[in-house]
Amino acid sequence: MKRIVIADDSSTARMFIKRCLDIIGLGDAEIVEAEHGKDALAAAKAAPTDLLLTDLNMPVMDGETLLKWIKASPKLCEMPVVIITSAGNPAKEQELLELGALKVLNKPVAPPMLMDALEDFIDD
Amino acid sequence: MPHQDTALYKAMLDAVRQTLENMAFVEVTEQPEELELKIPDEASWVSILIHDPVQGEIRLAMPQILLQEMTANMFGIETEEATESQQQDIIAEILNTLAGLFMTNLLPDDKTYQLGLPEHGDGPLPENEDNAIVWNLQIENSPLLLVASGVGLVSENH
Repeated sequence: MKRIVIADDSSTARMFIKRCLDIIGLGDAEIVEAEHGKDALAAAKAAPTDLLLTDLNMPVMDGETLLKWIKASPKLCEMPVVIITSAGNPAKEQELLELGALKVLNKPVAPPMLMDALEDFIDD
Repeated sequence: MPHQDTALYKAMLDAVRQTLENMAFVEVTEQPEELELKIPDEASWVSILIHDPVQGEIRLAMPQILLQEMTANMFGIETEEATESQQQDIIAEILNTLAGLFMTNLLPDDKTYQLGLPEHGDGPLPENEDNAIVWNLQIENSPLLLVASGVGLVSENH
């Protein structure tokens, strides 16, 4: 079973992402929810994690800092990180891709865009 | 130029329509001037700061009952089951999402922006600043109000 960490300070956003994952065939995955980057980092370290979906604007630790921590960690750096944010545009997307994000998606998230972004992950 | 024809006004209109149609499955329209649906005293409101590249604030307000109904729809529960916490989270996420879309619509592709975190309003809706831009909108027969303020942001309204 796949393990997926979702980091977003909004329970509404987490609910939308979980619904999308369910619709695209990842409903059986173990979902771990985190309200900010620091909790998400702890969750990712706590057990082998297959995917991290994270917002950018969060209290305590934002998504960009979380991405830098993940990519700097020898243990976690191979984990795919998808950014789902309201604060993304082409310039920001390029920055985040250069930092190692797999994909950058704009809110409001919808199943087709998540399906497209996670195509390889779902096929594994 | 009438303010409804500016890029800033249209950027917000597109952002709020796209956000609410995708998140809450509701259609947002502009209020006809003669209608004047007013936000009641029992309103829910939330604001977010734009930190960069211009400084400004966006405020979203709606009647409490409209927020409760949208929350129930989005969570798939009865209206009376929608908790205060769920309602506050949803209005904050709606503003967070539409503010991001607004800035994406407004700015050139090569320019990044930075938003703050949504903050819930406490008490009555504040008076608008003199230079504020107001979007008087409606969802069916309920009013929905968006206000943008801040000299840097408002100066983009041309």
